[in-house]
Amino acid sequence: VRCQHYPPLRALQASATLRRASDEQKKEPLTSSSQQHFDSPPAGHQPEREPQGPRPSYTGHGGQESEDYESEEQLQHRILTAALEFVPEHGWTAEAIAEGAKTLGLSVAAAGMFHSDGSELILHFVSECNAKLSKLLEKEQKLVQLGEAEKKPVDEFLRHAVEARLRMLIPYIEKWPQALSVLLLPRNIPSSLNLLTSMIDDIWHYAGDQSTDFNWYTRRAVLTGIYNTTELVMMQDSSPDFEDTWRFLENRVADAMTMSNTASQVQSTGEAVVQGLMGAAVTVSS
Amino acid sequence: VYQVFESVAKKYDVMNDSMTLGIHRIWKDILMHKMNPSPGTLLLDVAGGTGDIAFRFINYVRSVQKLQLQRKLKHHQNLSWQEIFESYQKDQFNSLGDSQVVVCDLNREMLKVGKQKAKHLGYSEGLSWVLGNAEELPFDNDKFDVYTIAFGIRNVTRIDLALQEAYRVLKPGGRFLCLEFSHVSNPLLSRLYDLYSFQVIPVLGEVIAGDWKSYQYLVESIRQFPPQEELKAMIEDVGFFKVDYENLNFGIVAIHSGFKL
Repeated sequence: VRCQHYPPLRALQASATLRRASDEQKKEPLTSSSQQHFDSPPAGHQPEREPQGPRPSYTGHGGQESEDYESEEQLQHRILTAALEFVPEHGWTAEAIAEGAKTLGLSVAAAGMFHSDGSELILHFVSECNAKLSKLLEKEQKLVQLGEAEKKPVDEFLRHAVEARLRMLIPYIEKWPQALSVLLLPRNIPSSLNLLTSMIDDIWHYAGDQSTDFNWYTRRAVLTGIYNTTELVMMQDSSPDFEDTWRFLENRVADAMTMSNTASQVQSTGEAVVQGLMGAAVTVSS
Repeated sequence: VYQVFESVAKKYDVMNDSMTLGIHRIWKDILMHKMNPSPGTLLLDVAGGTGDIAFRFINYVRSVQKLQLQRKLKHHQNLSWQEIFESYQKDQFNSLGDSQVVVCDLNREMLKVGKQKAKHLGYSEGLSWVLGNAEELPFDNDKFDVYTIAFGIRNVTRIDLALQEAYRVLKPGGRFLCLEFSHVSNPLLSRLYDLYSFQVIPVLGEVIAGDWKSYQYLVESIRQFPPQEELKAMIEDVGFFKVDYENLNFGIVAIHSGFKL
């Protein structure tokens, strides 16, 4: 007869690695970026466990320790964050994750928790970048509200936001094409598309554009197209500090504004195709 | 259990091939792929008598090491020949990248066969052979990166003790992997499988190894063994996290995996 226990809410062993939540700042990215939190990791054959409740609500037996220990997910987040440091050398691979685990004092076998193609690492990175962007835009919005900064016109705002977001890729730019191809795997598309659209939504939210020229879907699609094409240009760009990329971005945003003002077709057919495709993909995923 | 394997040791590999029609090799390969060990991994293979898992591990790690080396050299295109030569030298002596496997078995005969196989196949470094009981391992705590037990756990009398020992000797972050016969849920397949097990396997046992009884025992022990979900619960009880299983061949065999976190 097994003794009674609550399987989903066991505290993780107090090994060198697992920390009490009180030791470190309470992990808020998990909640504040809930809109960007991707669907549960695309691990292929994982049967659904009973959902792990958020730690603070647990008041079962042995309660004095349970509230402070982190969950598996939080540990996984920490491993992935630690792994990012090794990406420039090892790429977005299980090796990088293994190295990350090592720095946390865990065995390299812990990388087995993740898919061997590095999907979770990439998705984690994208989600973290999006969260950083959100924070940045919020901070700037506060400054505007306090009257300490000028409110930017829409086109400048968009340029600024997209540039800020793309600059986060710079440390990893060599291996980013590999990451992009992994994000396009059928298995990852729901998550990656989700992250992309919520980021775009975020930018529009902070842009605060009241114009009624665009309808909501078009706005999303246009900015998604701008973002994706700029990202691709950035991959090929070898100019100092990516100035070619930012110039490209400026032109695309200007085009978009022109399009909205005169309601004429976008000049470059290639762009129209891309934007149309992105819009379709976005519509399908919604 | 000891006597069963004593008599079976020499013909073990042959019997495996004939009983499973050679598919056991694939199962073991899948296990290795799932493990995906990186160089520097310390593996404990329990009840691994004749060394199948150990040899696969060494092969895998060697090829990963080679790939990594190639990649590193590709990056360093502007090194002088001297530097390239030196880095090759350094890694040559390290073809396993510090990975090691310890094969632990209850049965001296099985270990003997394993050692002979190793010599015959040319595996020398990175291998250790230790006599030991899965329920009471002769190792310190927090030692190994990965613990495997392939087709061994059903022979353990106290499975929970073996699981506890596994938990104990694994490092934090370490992985537990168990490859074992399990339950087929598909009814049609289950009937065919039963037929095969009870009619064909003991006969093969008699013909090839001259031992009907041992293989009768084998087939029965498979039926007695807890099904996938139950084993999963037992593994969780001991303290492993992210416990999960993968059915191979519709449940004839299953790989259970858990992490010590």
